[in-house]
Amino acid sequence: MPDNDASLEREQRLRQAVDELAVQLVMAEDESAILRALGEVERLACASGRPELAEMVEGFLKQDAAAEVIHPDLAALGKAVERLQQALAEPASLSFSSPSAPADAAPASSGGGINILAQDPELVRDFVVESREHLAAIETHLLVVEQDPHASESLNAVFRGFHTIKGLAGFLELGPVQEVAHEVETILDLARSDRLTMTPEVIDLVLRGADYLRTAIDQVDAAAAGKPSGQFADNRNLINELRSLAAEEQDSGHQPQSPQKDRTAEPAGAAKPTAGETTPGQTGPEQSLRPAVASLSDSRTVKVDTGKLDHLVDMVGEMVIAQSLLKHDPDMAAVRTPRLQRIISQLSGITSDVQKTAMALRMVPIGYLFQRMGRVVRDLARKAGKQVELITEGEDTEIDRQIVEALADPLLHMIRNAIDHGLETPEARAAAGKNPTGRVRLAACHQSGQIQIEVGDDGRGLDAEKILKKAIERGLVAPGSQLNESEIANLIFEPGFSTAERVTDVSGRGVGMDVVKKNITRLRGRIEVSSARGMGTKFLLKLPLTLAIIDGLLVGVGKERYIVPIYSVLEMLRPSRQAVNRIPGQGETVLVRDSVLPIIRLHERFGVTPRFSDPWEALLIVAECEGKRFCMMVDEFLGKQEVVIKGLGDMLKNIRGIAGGAILGDGRVGLILDLEAIFLGVQENG
Amino acid sequence: MQAGVADTAAGAAKSDQRAGKYLTFRLGNEEFAIQVLKVREIMGVQDITAVPQTPHYVKGVINLRGKVIPVVDLRLKFGLPEAEYTQHTCIIVVQIPGASGPMLMGIVVDGVSEVVSLTAGDIENTPDFGQGVTVPYLLGMAKTKGGVKILLDIDQVLTSQEVCGLEQALHHS
Repeated sequence: MPDNDASLEREQRLRQAVDELAVQLVMAEDESAILRALGEVERLACASGRPELAEMVEGFLKQDAAAEVIHPDLAALGKAVERLQQALAEPASLSFSSPSAPADAAPASSGGGINILAQDPELVRDFVVESREHLAAIETHLLVVEQDPHASESLNAVFRGFHTIKGLAGFLELGPVQEVAHEVETILDLARSDRLTMTPEVIDLVLRGADYLRTAIDQVDAAAAGKPSGQFADNRNLINELRSLAAEEQDSGHQPQSPQKDRTAEPAGAAKPTAGETTPGQTGPEQSLRPAVASLSDSRTVKVDTGKLDHLVDMVGEMVIAQSLLKHDPDMAAVRTPRLQRIISQLSGITSDVQKTAMALRMVPIGYLFQRMGRVVRDLARKAGKQVELITEGEDTEIDRQIVEALADPLLHMIRNAIDHGLETPEARAAAGKNPTGRVRLAACHQSGQIQIEVGDDGRGLDAEKILKKAIERGLVAPGSQLNESEIANLIFEPGFSTAERVTDVSGRGVGMDVVKKNITRLRGRIEVSSARGMGTKFLLKLPLTLAIIDGLLVGVGKERYIVPIYSVLEMLRPSRQAVNRIPGQGETVLVRDSVLPIIRLHERFGVTPRFSDPWEALLIVAECEGKRFCMMVDEFLGKQEVVIKGLGDMLKNIRGIAGGAILGDGRVGLILDLEAIFLGVQENG
Repeated sequence: MQAGVADTAAGAAKSDQRAGKYLTFRLGNEEFAIQVLKVREIMGVQDITAVPQTPHYVKGVINLRGKVIPVVDLRLKFGLPEAEYTQHTCIIVVQIPGASGPMLMGIVVDGVSEVVSLTAGDIENTPDFGQGVTVPYLLGMAKTKGGVKILLDIDQVLTSQEVCGLEQALHHS
C-alpha cells in the first residue's frame, strides 16, 4: 500500500505544519514567521488533497496581502488553527464532504463510510435540532387536524414532519427511529388519501409515535454529548399497533370513510416517499390554519448557535468596558474639546444600542411554549372527560429562551390544576348555565420592563372557605384571623398547603403550588392568584425579560467587591449602636422597624479582612429569603450596576454563596452573591 | 529527523504519543513542560478576583476578553512555597476537557522559557518512586540540552482534586 503510506506521511507533515503554526501563534513574536507557517500549511494541505483546509488558510493570506501593513488577525487565526486541528483529528468526515479530494488520499481516510458519518457531531446536532422542531410542528398541526380531520394542509405538514425525520434517521442509521417514523407515515398517508379518518384514537397513536421519537432523539442528543443514553426503547408494541391499524384500514380501504372521493384519486404508492428524496431543513411553505403557527414558521429568521450568540454578548460587553475606559482616560480629559465630547457621546450611544440589540437576540416568542401546552390541554381534557378549549394571546411576546424553557414545568402544572380542579364537568357547567366547553386562557404581554403571563380558567374558582379551613388545620393561619379574599387565595402557595388528598390521578406527582411559586421565584419572578366564585381562577406571573442581566448593588468588603442582586434586597441601613445585640454563643441581631433580624457578616463567611468590624460603622443589607428576613453586613455601598451574569466555569460552579461572576466597569471580575445560600449556610452552621 | 518522519509514516500508531512540541516554564528550581497544543494564550499577571471557599491553589477568576476563567497557581497546586509575583510571572491559558465541553483555565507559573520539539527518543518514562506513589499527571521526563524537563499532563493536573506526591517525588530525585 505505497499510496496509503505516502498519504499518511503527507497527512503527518500537514499536522506538523499546523502544530508549528499554533506554536508561532502562541509565541506571537515574529509575524513573518506566522505568515511563513501559514504558507507552509496551505502548500501541504493542497498536496495532501485537503483543498478545503487550504482555502481556509488562503482566506487569511489574502486578507493580509490586502492590508498595507502585514498584521495578521491573531485571534481569528487562533480560531482557524483550532478548526484546522479539529479537522485533522477527524479526517474521514472531512474528506467525505470534499469529494474533489484526489483519489490517492481517499482510500486512506474515508474507509468507514456512513458509520463514521453517523458519528459526525455536526450532523447529529443538526438532526437533533431539526427533528425537535419538526416534532413541535407535528403536535401543533395534529391538534388542528383533531379539530378538523380534513385540514389537509396540517395533515400534510404532519406527514412531512415524520417523513423528514425518517429520512434523517435513515441517513444516520438510527433504525428504531426510522421504523416508527415509517409506520406513522404509512398511517398518515392513508389519512391523506382519505382511506382513514383521523379519529382521536388515531391521533393518540400518532402522538405516541411522536413521543417515541422525542425520547429517542433526546437519547441521541445525550449520546452525542458523551453522556450515558442507554438503548432505544423497545418499539415493537408501538409498531405492531401502528401496523395493525394500517392493515385494518387497508382491508376495508375499498370503501373510503370520507365522502371526499376526489382525493382518493391520488394513489398511496406515489405519495410514499423514499429516503433519498428527503430535503433536510426545508419543510416548504406552510399555510396553516392558525395565525400562531404561521408566524412561528416565518422564514425570515436565521438559526444561530447559542455559543456564537454568547460570544457576541461577551465581546459587546468588552466593547462597552473599552469605551468607558476611553471616556475616563486622563489623557482624554486633557484634550477634551466639544467636538471630541460629541464623538464620544455618540460612540457610547451606539455601543449601548449594540448591547441592547445583542441581548435581544436571545429572545424568542413565547408562542413556542404556548404551542406545547396545546398538546397538554388536549391530553388532560381527554383523560378528565372534560371539554376544554385553549385560548392563547400574545404569542409574539418575546422572552429569554432560558426562561421559556424553565417556565414549561410551572405552566404545565397550572394548566393541569385548571383542567383537573378548576373546570367543571360538561354536565355541571351546563347545569350552572355555562358553556359546556371550558376555557383555559394563556396570555402574555410586556409590561414595564417585565413580561406578564396570565393563566386563567372559567371554572368554579377557588373555594375560599375550604382553603381557609385547611390552612387553619395545617397551622398556616391562626384560627379566627381576618383575611381578605386575595390573602386567602394566596394561601395556596404556602409550603405544606398542598396535600395528598388534593392530588388526583391527573394532576398528581404530588407537586403543589408552593413548588410552582418556588420555580417562579428562582426565575426572579412573582406569582399572584385571583379568583371569583363560579367565574374562574386567574394566575398572574411577572417575570424578568432575561436571566442574562441583573440589576445589582455593588458593595465592598475589605479589598473585595461583590454584586448583590437587587431583587432580593429590601433595604440598606446603618444601624445605631443601641439597635445591635449580641446573643452569646448564637450571634448578633439588629432591630429593624420593630423586628429583630439576625446579622450575617459577609467577611466571616468568605474569610476576607473587613475594614469595619462593628455593624454601626458598616452597612447592613436587609434581604428576604424563603419568607425570612436577615441582614448581611458589608463595608460599603459602591453603586448600582446592571451586569451580565457569567458562569465561573465547571471547576468553580458549586461554590456556596456565589451565583456567578460579572465583568465590572473597570474590566475586572466581580462575584455575584447568592443570598439564599449565604443565609441557609449560616442556618446549617448554626 | 529524516528517519523520524519515515518512522512515524510507517507506523503512526506505534510512535510515541508524547513526542511533539512543548512549552517549557519554570516553577521553583524545576523546568516543566506542557504540550503546546493545550496552550491558548500567555499573558502577564493581572488583577485576579479571589473566590471564597475554594482550595488555596485556586487564585480566583480573571476576565479573558469577556469570559470569566479560573486561575490556578501551579506552585500551590504542587505544594511548593508561595512566591511573590514578579514581572516574569505569567498566566498560561490552557484549554482542557471539562464536564460540559472544553474549558479555559489559567495557570500561574514563575516564567515561560521556550518551545521545544521533543522526539520519542528524548522522552523517558518517569522512574518508579516505589511505595505506590502514583503520579498520573506526569507524562515523563525529557532529556534536553538545557537539562531534564518534567512533562506534565495538564488535563490531569487541573482536573484531579489533589496533586500531592510531586513535591515528594522531586525531593527524592
